[in-house]
Amino acid sequence: MSIISLSINNKAIGPIETSDDVMMIEFLHEHLNMTGTKFGCGVGVCHACTVIIDNQDGTSESVRTCINGVSRFNGKKIRTVEGHAKANEFGEIIKLSPVQETFIENFSFQCGWCTSGFVNETTVLVERLKLMPIRVSEIETVIEKALGDHVCRCTGYVKYYKAVKELILSTEGLTRP
Amino acid sequence: MKMNVNILKLSALCLALPLTANATQNDLVEQGKYLAKLGDCTACHTIDEGQANGGGLPFTTPFGIVYSTNISSNKEFGIGHYSLEDFTDAMRGGVAPKGNLYPAMPYTSYHLLTDQDIEALYRYFMSTKPVKQENRDNDLMFPTNIRMGLKAWNLVNHDSKVFEADADKSEKWNRGSYIVNGLGHCGECHTPRDAMFAMDQSRHFEGELIGGALASNITPKELNRQGWTKQDLDDVLRKGYSRKGTVFAGMYPVVFHSFSHLTNDDMSAVTSYLLDNDGEITAKSDTFNGHDKSDPGYDLYKGYCAGCHGIDGEGKPNVSPALIANATIDKAVPINTLSVMLNGVEEQRYSYTHGFYAMPSYRDTLSVKQLTELTNYIRKVWTKQPSDLTESQVQEWVDQIEDSIADAAH
Repeated sequence: MSIISLSINNKAIGPIETSDDVMMIEFLHEHLNMTGTKFGCGVGVCHACTVIIDNQDGTSESVRTCINGVSRFNGKKIRTVEGHAKANEFGEIIKLSPVQETFIENFSFQCGWCTSGFVNETTVLVERLKLMPIRVSEIETVIEKALGDHVCRCTGYVKYYKAVKELILSTEGLTRP
Repeated sequence: MKMNVNILKLSALCLALPLTANATQNDLVEQGKYLAKLGDCTACHTIDEGQANGGGLPFTTPFGIVYSTNISSNKEFGIGHYSLEDFTDAMRGGVAPKGNLYPAMPYTSYHLLTDQDIEALYRYFMSTKPVKQENRDNDLMFPTNIRMGLKAWNLVNHDSKVFEADADKSEKWNRGSYIVNGLGHCGECHTPRDAMFAMDQSRHFEGELIGGALASNITPKELNRQGWTKQDLDDVLRKGYSRKGTVFAGMYPVVFHSFSHLTNDDMSAVTSYLLDNDGEITAKSDTFNGHDKSDPGYDLYKGYCAGCHGIDGEGKPNVSPALIANATIDKAVPINTLSVMLNGVEEQRYSYTHGFYAMPSYRDTLSVKQLTELTNYIRKVWTKQPSDLTESQVQEWVDQIEDSIADAAH
């Protein structure tokens, strides 16, 4: 058994006792009832289960939860898809994140199984570009590199990529001359 | 009447002769086709977007880039104008009509081939589809760009003698030796190079670091120590995966294009030779020493590896190899263990129903301290190797891997 303590969406979790062979996706679903992160292929290929780890140096990174054990996240600060929108005191959603908004505006997803992975990966990308803006001419390459491993069985790639491109171009400080 | 019978017989003979000659010719072409697979000619002489045997694949050497050449039957760009003698000279002595070949073409191994096998290969290549693809100029630094220098290199480093059977060994062992050392040209990667970049035969098959991965020590001593059975070797060479783990890096195309096509008899000869044993070998019991939960490597293993390789290292069918009995981690020098952690492994697919998923790279995720703890832990749990590697040792191996990748890229 392992004892796990971490922060999820700015909320301290644990210490919780789990079995040694529990993957993070299972921990989120079974121990915390956080089912927004989706289990897809189970072998690290589809990236649907991606969450964000916030590093101490201010950078963020995307991590797959189906192939990474819960112990990798022990003591870490993580964000899941449940942590992006702002809620009121009653827990009702009052404002989506810019990434979520742009996906809805572009009708990017259909069945939505891959969406939490795309939201998290795009959020990491936007945060990286804030620190290291890119040239406008590089946008498409950068998007493909960041999101290229995410699988959408409904084939929503064009709309996803278009939404991300719009978001990058309309957000100040992500691109440079 | 008797004369008529004789005439009939003679007529029949006359009819039969060309047919027999054709049959022999076809047999030779078929044999040559098989031998070309054994020699893995496709892997080096065909580029992804190019036609078969059209050449153009770049090979990075310490002296620059050498491009493989067109070896199709095209008379202008390929080897269609070669005589059998020209072809033999190229295969055995590294000398083509245009001049000396660079030893990136493994004539340093192919010289062992018999005249008959060389002729079969010749007949096969002369029967291949002529590919109109111009050869690319090599990009080599002075003075290695002067082919004349290779004459001197050959004089010092190359012995063009044909294979000689070892009378103390069985026919099967000798057939295996002929395949492995000749057309298989396994020594070109698995034998360390000396100061002149020739195979150092005093360290035959002891392994060499190439492109960020170690072409393993495949001496009978090491393979037997690791507990390979003939079936394990047959599996890994024919299918790319076995009870002892999977192939990766440069060995994948070798399995795909070459060894997977071996006849059962030839594969049996190869495994007999590699293990230096004609008989069957019983599998040793697998090493699993149990987990040590107080070890810092335990948490790292659970966090980064157990998702695919299983909490007890049992692996997942068609996803990831088992760590139990895995020969990659059961090595004195953990270069390949570190190499897969740093570089990951590309997806390997052998058929629609058999394959392994890609392993992610942990280059930017794991520190040298974590790599050390994890490597020590994996060795401690699944091998009998000492698990006292230090961070400075691991750093040194990591540097070697990075240098080897940089060498291959420039």
